[in-house]
Amino acid sequence: MNMIDIENLSFTYGGKVEALKNVSLCVKKGEWVTILGHNGSGKSTLAKLIVGLLKPQKGTIRVDGVELSERTVHDIRKKVGIVFQNPDNQFVGVTVRDDIAFGLENLRIPREEMIERIEHYAKRVDMYSYLNKEPQALSGGQKQRVAIAGILAMRTEVIIFDEATSMLDPDGRKRILSYMRKLRDDGVTVVTITHDMREAVQSDRIVVLKDGEILKADKSEDVLKDKETLEKSNLELLLPLEVLHGLEHKKSTNEEIKEFLWQLSLNG
Amino acid sequence: MAIKFERVSFQYRGIDEKGYLALADINLSIAAKGEFITLIGETGSGKSTLAQHMNALLTPTEGRVHVFGVKLTSDKKKNRRQRLNPIRQRVGLVFQFPEYQLFEETVLKDIIFGPKNFGVGQDEAVERAKKMIKVVGLDESYLERSPFNLSGGEKKRVSIAGILAMEPEILILDEPTSGLDPMGRNALLEVFHNIHEQLGKTVVIITHDMNTVYEYAKRVLVLREGALVYDGDPSGLFSRKHVEDWNLELPEILRIQRALEERFGIKLDKSPRSRKELIEALGEVVG
Amino acid sequence: MNRIVIGRYIPGNSFLYRMDPRTKLIAMILLMVSVFLIQSFIHMLVALLLVALLLVFGGISVKRVYLGLRPLVFLLIFTFLFQVLFNRQGDLLYSLELHYTVLNLSIAMALVIMWGFTKRFLRFRLLYFLATVAGVFLLFHYLPFGIVLGEGTFSVYEQGLSTAFFIMVRLVIIITLSTILTITTKPTDLNLGLESILRPLRILRINAEEIAMIIAISLRYIPTLLDEANKIMLAQASRGVDFQEGKLKDKVIQVVSLLVPMFIISFQRSDDLANAMETRSFVPGQKRTRLHILHWSGLDTTALAFTCAALIGVILLRVVGW
Repeated sequence: MNMIDIENLSFTYGGKVEALKNVSLCVKKGEWVTILGHNGSGKSTLAKLIVGLLKPQKGTIRVDGVELSERTVHDIRKKVGIVFQNPDNQFVGVTVRDDIAFGLENLRIPREEMIERIEHYAKRVDMYSYLNKEPQALSGGQKQRVAIAGILAMRTEVIIFDEATSMLDPDGRKRILSYMRKLRDDGVTVVTITHDMREAVQSDRIVVLKDGEILKADKSEDVLKDKETLEKSNLELLLPLEVLHGLEHKKSTNEEIKEFLWQLSLNG
Repeated sequence: MAIKFERVSFQYRGIDEKGYLALADINLSIAAKGEFITLIGETGSGKSTLAQHMNALLTPTEGRVHVFGVKLTSDKKKNRRQRLNPIRQRVGLVFQFPEYQLFEETVLKDIIFGPKNFGVGQDEAVERAKKMIKVVGLDESYLERSPFNLSGGEKKRVSIAGILAMEPEILILDEPTSGLDPMGRNALLEVFHNIHEQLGKTVVIITHDMNTVYEYAKRVLVLREGALVYDGDPSGLFSRKHVEDWNLELPEILRIQRALEERFGIKLDKSPRSRKELIEALGEVVG
Repeated sequence: MNRIVIGRYIPGNSFLYRMDPRTKLIAMILLMVSVFLIQSFIHMLVALLLVALLLVFGGISVKRVYLGLRPLVFLLIFTFLFQVLFNRQGDLLYSLELHYTVLNLSIAMALVIMWGFTKRFLRFRLLYFLATVAGVFLLFHYLPFGIVLGEGTFSVYEQGLSTAFFIMVRLVIIITLSTILTITTKPTDLNLGLESILRPLRILRINAEEIAMIIAISLRYIPTLLDEANKIMLAQASRGVDFQEGKLKDKVIQVVSLLVPMFIISFQRSDDLANAMETRSFVPGQKRTRLHILHWSGLDTTALAFTCAALIGVILLRVVGW
């Protein structure tokens, strides 16, 4: 069963800049898919289209079997949550508690249940002790965790990370990565949009975008090793895989080292 | 020494006069030529505060900072009597977000804004803009474009060109590669490398990326909770003790090297600093 | 930026903290109206006493309130002096002959200049200012030597003194009341109370919930924007903009170099924020449940009853004409 189904999607900004050209892809229920691409490859445009912030000019988007349109967009947003890049620009509440509550208030969840969910999901992202804190007292990574809790509390089935770690320090990034893993293990469909290979490593499938077109969409193992495709999209191989590639180029036959390098790359 | 910190502390004044100590007892000197320094530390460790002392945007609450012969102390009145602007011309500081500084209608006007503030004539400033836009890897056609219609990476380059056009002797960059894709990042790091090698300027980069530290830096400064805990060469930094004590990430190159050594006993004769060097060195050994 | 005292919530647990923000808002308005209706000297003193009692029993330090008043002290003194000096209605209470001579004028001038130079080194600036003013008057009266340039009288009339008194006390009471409100009420609660009070405006097609949302988001983003403005200033200072000096022409470009990035970043922010709100199922005008709800208690009813009684009392007094 496909959670997200995209067919022949095109989008052009202001009639000039072609951001997406005839893109088709699908995301299965419970799958973790990474959309990889360089700055300006159209990957964020794709995210905005899926959550209905932009209207497709050509092609269709289906979420859980329902075609996205003006009529269905509000229902679809109940199923798809998105964490954006800038931690500061998506914190709506005056405190952590208020921010997690924001989406629930919009969904008209009764107050008692709201309180329960806020506490539960704040614990899930280890922000329970921060519930009364104001955003100024939080780091970027903590704000992103609050954003995740706010979306989880709405019980969405899909969560999209639109370059959600790119403004964070290494610790913050690792933390968010670990939550992505947990989410997938809990059966949430995860879509990460990034140019950071370390984010792509553990996903099930990778879609590589270049200048608005799909270069390759395949199992992660295959894409991670594909030097040619990745470099075309301004990306670079993970270093262990680059080394592996170099050894293969030199016709090395030491299979043990090759396997070791591959494992090393998977461990982030 | 172009910049010299003597027992410098800096306290941010907060609510109810209770301060927050951002820098604690820092001693440090930086030469005007030939240095390539990276400044690392966790978020909130005082990196930006330290950088802002180097061009007198901030002045110490304790201790002394000497920048190109100007002495800055906690005496605000005395500091104000000195001309601070020339310091800012000689020590160029590029902020993390280009959005903080771009404001003119065209890239050209924005680049010449800095030099003209320091009394450079129009023609000379335009000449510099033409030169610097190439140094940062863009071509002259960009000069007539609006800085607001550029991509994130291009904006960053323009903001750097704007500081370079002031012809500073020391260039400080606050997290210059954050948010860029790998190729964009590598290209920009090459730009800094060239500025350092060809123009002979001292470059100071604030970063979280240990790969940058290991591949490019000749010297690395580590801040922890406002204190300078390490000032030396990068290869000495990543000893096991430091990595554990300071919760450092290892550069990828070292990580692989150590993993291979542990598992297969592979020892490299040279210590490679770049991807290419690593692959070559390993190719020789593994064969 | 951290020195702003007005509008800052300070945690505490007196009865003022336990009151519903709606009660506090309405009570404040009613009390302000009452204070304006009071006409008798005694009643005004009683009102002042009541406000002082409110401070004591509400557990609010007078120092805090004074900090709130401080920015307005000069205004208060100015209005007071203005009324005293220039309002010439009613009985003459006091008069002082003044002789302006070359000698005392020059001494007075020296005194003022000395005040201007030394004020920054002293702690009780206000007192020092008043002493200087008094000193100047005394000079004119007790030092009539030298070539006389003019004569005058400093006279205080009853009406002037009483108007000055009323204006002062009213202002002090109003500022104290609003300081009490902001010290004891969290901004979120205050906003919630405001929303609730404005709700009847629906008849005029004014959506109170949207106004409250706008205020809440402004509260959330003001610190962020101030921080941003500071960083932009530093970034431009790094490019040689000297915000302290410069000619008028330079000043214009300085302001532009600050405002343009500020605007662009704010627009970017509001765009991002709108996207984040929309994707979290916010639809303007649609009904929402609320996490924070207000609790009306017996305390609120009592407090409101007291305030209403005070207002009615004042109106009655005025009608009866005591």
